[in-house]
Amino acid sequence: MSMTQLPPGFKITRETDSEEFFINMGPQHPSTHGALRLALRMDGETIVEVVPHFGYIHRGLEKQGESMTYLQYIPMTDRQDYLTAIQNNLGVVLAYEKGMNIGVPEKAEYIRVMLSELGRIASHLVFFGCFGGDLGGQTCLLFGFKEREMVHDILEEVTGSRLTTNFFRPGGSRFDVPENFIPRVKAFLDHLEGAMKDYERFLSKNVIALERSVGIGILSKEDAIAFGCSGPVLRASGVDFDVRRANPYSIYDQLDFEVPIAHNGDCHDRYNVRIAEIHESMKILRQCIEKFPKEGPYRSKEKPVKLNPGRYYSEIETAKGLYGTYVVAASGDKPYRIHTRGPSFPHIGVLNKMCQGGKISDLVVVMATLDPVIPEIDR
Amino acid sequence: MYVPSVTNPIGDYVREWVPQLVAYLPESLQGETTCSVIAFAINAIICIIAVCLVNIGSAPILIYMERKVCAHVQCRLGPMRLGWHGTIQTIADVLKMLFKEVYSPQGADKKLFYLAPLIVLIAPFMIAALIPFGHNLLVANVDMGIPLIIAVNGFGVLGILLGGWSSNNKYSLMGSLRSGAQMISYEISFALVLLFVVMVSGSTNLMEITNGQAGTVANWMIFKVPVLGFLAFIMFFIASTAEMNRAPFDIAEAEQELTGGYHTEYTGTPFAMFYLAEYIALVTNSALAVTCFLGGFHAPCIGFESVDQILLKVPGVIWFFAKVYFMIWCYMMVRWTFVRPRVDQLMSFEWKFMLPVNMLLLVGGAAYIALSI
Amino acid sequence: MGIINFAPKILDPIPGGKYVVNAIDYVVNWARANSIWPLTYGTSCCAIEMMSSSMARYDIARFGSEVFRASPRQADLFILAGTITRRMAPAIQMLWEQMPGPKYVLAMGACTISGGPFVYDNYSVVRGAQNILPVDVFVPGCPPRPEALFHGLLTLREKILKETCRNPWHEGDTQDLSQLDRYREAAKAWAELEKIKDEEMAEARAKFKEENPDYKSSFKPVRVTKEAFPEIAREHEISLAEKSSKGLSKADMFKALKNKFASVTITGVTAETPEALAEAETAAVAALTADSVLEVRLNAEDYLAAVEFVKNDPAFKMDYLIDVTAIDYPDHFELITMLKSLEKKHQLFLCVPLAKDESIAAEKRATSILAKVPSVSHLYAAAEIKEREVYDMFGIKFEGHQDMRRIFLDPEFEGFPLRKDFTNPNMIKRPV
Repeated sequence: MSMTQLPPGFKITRETDSEEFFINMGPQHPSTHGALRLALRMDGETIVEVVPHFGYIHRGLEKQGESMTYLQYIPMTDRQDYLTAIQNNLGVVLAYEKGMNIGVPEKAEYIRVMLSELGRIASHLVFFGCFGGDLGGQTCLLFGFKEREMVHDILEEVTGSRLTTNFFRPGGSRFDVPENFIPRVKAFLDHLEGAMKDYERFLSKNVIALERSVGIGILSKEDAIAFGCSGPVLRASGVDFDVRRANPYSIYDQLDFEVPIAHNGDCHDRYNVRIAEIHESMKILRQCIEKFPKEGPYRSKEKPVKLNPGRYYSEIETAKGLYGTYVVAASGDKPYRIHTRGPSFPHIGVLNKMCQGGKISDLVVVMATLDPVIPEIDR
Repeated sequence: MYVPSVTNPIGDYVREWVPQLVAYLPESLQGETTCSVIAFAINAIICIIAVCLVNIGSAPILIYMERKVCAHVQCRLGPMRLGWHGTIQTIADVLKMLFKEVYSPQGADKKLFYLAPLIVLIAPFMIAALIPFGHNLLVANVDMGIPLIIAVNGFGVLGILLGGWSSNNKYSLMGSLRSGAQMISYEISFALVLLFVVMVSGSTNLMEITNGQAGTVANWMIFKVPVLGFLAFIMFFIASTAEMNRAPFDIAEAEQELTGGYHTEYTGTPFAMFYLAEYIALVTNSALAVTCFLGGFHAPCIGFESVDQILLKVPGVIWFFAKVYFMIWCYMMVRWTFVRPRVDQLMSFEWKFMLPVNMLLLVGGAAYIALSI
Repeated sequence: MGIINFAPKILDPIPGGKYVVNAIDYVVNWARANSIWPLTYGTSCCAIEMMSSSMARYDIARFGSEVFRASPRQADLFILAGTITRRMAPAIQMLWEQMPGPKYVLAMGACTISGGPFVYDNYSVVRGAQNILPVDVFVPGCPPRPEALFHGLLTLREKILKETCRNPWHEGDTQDLSQLDRYREAAKAWAELEKIKDEEMAEARAKFKEENPDYKSSFKPVRVTKEAFPEIAREHEISLAEKSSKGLSKADMFKALKNKFASVTITGVTAETPEALAEAETAAVAALTADSVLEVRLNAEDYLAAVEFVKNDPAFKMDYLIDVTAIDYPDHFELITMLKSLEKKHQLFLCVPLAKDESIAAEKRATSILAKVPSVSHLYAAAEIKEREVYDMFGIKFEGHQDMRRIFLDPEFEGFPLRKDFTNPNMIKRPV
């Protein structure tokens, strides 16, 4: 097969031999985590090049945001990274607060931190499940989701919704937390502590899982920075960068937690970093439970709906990585332009680099450890 | 004229009854030969029906069992609505699949496409005919039983290769090629472990192998040869899992990678046949494991007269199926516990670990025979 | 069409045959209704709820539907979980066509029923799955809970039980994708009716005023009492941890850039004389709060050099590209390159005003590329996809970019959505 013209996106122009062929993976494929299409150039089982094709779930959120009021846009962020919708709420609300120039009561800050850490745990549990599931162990998938349901029970009790929370507002949150919020979180943490021990035994030391993930999909430190990776993917490559630590928002500067870092940048490191982050989140939650103010308002007194004209940028650390919101405010109660920087987008950009020379089975594992959420990429 | 004998519980009755029937025939046709040919034919038909019933009948039971085992491993309930605890769920599944639309994809090689599932079914059916289910429950008492099983077992890969190739789909092709490479590699370990059994028991006849394990549990192949027997059993377990394309060695299907592998393009009844073949292979491989290592239809006597007498009252068939279902349960637990290795890791595991160990096993077996004589 | 659809043709003419057909119907429907295997398909939020429904808590396996098939050829039920976009629609139709009959479609969630939150001002979402496929069951919710999905499944079960092989259920056909815009027509017709109604109302009001010139409304606005809200004792002050001392302060960064590139200013600062400008700029930089970012405006000619400078300069060391995006103003674009230093923890946003190409005729402006800027993708690998996004959304061409294609939209798509002058026939204006 001699090709004079490659399909769009493929860059390597080497002498194609007759062994090479193209495979189309997605947009409906069990392991592309949603509507992502990967065009693969294969040499037998070995991947020569991967070209991601985006846009199968492009919903024009940014265009829509321009005709919505600021508060109407908050539920739209739920639908970007739906695994940690609550953290996305926080990201956009922080940008609004800069434009509205209002403070946040102490109790609201604690509610924010606790709910976002619960969201982080939920997202990482989904990662645990998908990682095991994509390796071929369907049982892991079920186990990950089992504990996640408990987080969703708490979220439902607080926000009224399982998945799309739409909870935070500029200056605080929509409602106060119910009375048994703290005991429930405490009970959940005690349960998770034991459950995580079992789960780690399931995957962390399993010989086949180690064979499949150690040394697979290595992302060097330089590449991770150059391609704009963030979150656990970046930290697994040995870069000490966590927005909670580097540029603290909310009350993260008053909490004591570690930022887990690994240095090899392979799939197993990304797995380890995420598991360690679950434990760190549990640590943060326990501190919050101790410090949680019983009295006090859950939102600021004034409820502004407009931003002062200007440009505002906020960034937070979601479970996936750096989530930035850029708001351009003009007069009126609608944004002139609202832009979201999602963490998953650069991660898919680096996929080609990580998968070249690997097997098609490695691609599945790499995709699982990058943990992308496609609607957040396409928006 | 030589007419092979067929054993089954009503065989003797048939043999008595046939000469009376033959008496009605014209005299020129009467004779010993006619009697034995007719008796053989009737017996063969009975056996074929019995094998089909055992095989096809066990598939829905196994699918139900798999779904329940899987569900309970994963902390859920599994099918609950249809019948008591969902017992007739698989019957609904099978009926639905039979009445589904059947078509072949564009560009497929139609003849091979529909032939492939049938070829896959042949191998497990033939093996089932060779396995002694009880003292006199055996379809074909073949002296070259083990070599025949080794020969027939390789037949299944042909169906999978043809199915994947004729589907005109790259995923199917990759799945079938993976499966071909995998099954041909593991065939070697499979054969070598069976050779170990042949060596120790001194016969290739499955009935004789079973009878060689009569007596107490200590006489079973798995315990008869100290350590080596158990090692051989584990090797057989791994090799047969790979032979059956079951998880964790299901790289040919690999739903997360190849969306179903070689049967990606199959619908309705042909797909049901692949499904059926998978579960019949599970039965036959378990039966083979039981015959070769776990004493076949012999009761697990432990050496105490009083206990043994009670155990021996239970018919051999029941012991046989109890052991078979225990083996199947083991296969299922393994399937829902482990994650899947990569294709090249699977290959290197076979060639770099399984094969040398099996060779050593043969040497060990030879040493055992030399010492025990 | 399955094999059993021939049964009534053969059996019905035979006396008593219809009872056999009824029996066949009963058995087949029972099997089909109780063994519904869904297709593994999901695009967005609903997909995760669909997954939850097959997990330990909810366990779809109780209904015998846990066998999620990855291949459409073995599936019976197409659960449309998640928004359907125009780009995905042909793929969905293809999947549906690959499923063997009898096949069923379950539209899960508000997006697949009507477009849900994405109805207004949207150019890419299909408003309702029934526009592309025949749908059997609709499950509302955003996203629906797993229980709701089970209810949908059981509703589908009831529907299947009513089928008969005498009158084979017509599966329907996929809809022509070019006919997707029926909503637009409906919206137009609706708007016409509204207009007529408004006119009639205005006439009636004028008439009423004429007839009753001294009429006074007795309506009094009701004042809702403010909710009792406790006084805030103490506003929690955002006490940010001091920025890492290794990083440059905003003033230093601005000074260094100003020295290097003459065109550097602060966004929104204007003054008459250069001295006054410099003063105003310093004041603006000093006024920036701790949690805001230094935004520097510079000319397009200096853009590439400036990015190169801040990347390689040992004091700046901006090694991390957060994002590249743009804003469309009436007379110019503004390209914003967000940079960060992972080591020194400081951030810098470079704003580059790009004049729009005035030489293009007015009617072609909306669909043609209006500005050009050098690409930074050779400096930051991350910029490759980000610049493609800006190209896709704004029609700004990046010179030197290796692979300048549309990223989210089809290559045939006309126009650039995030421009303010973007119009698309599929967009419905949000009623205010």
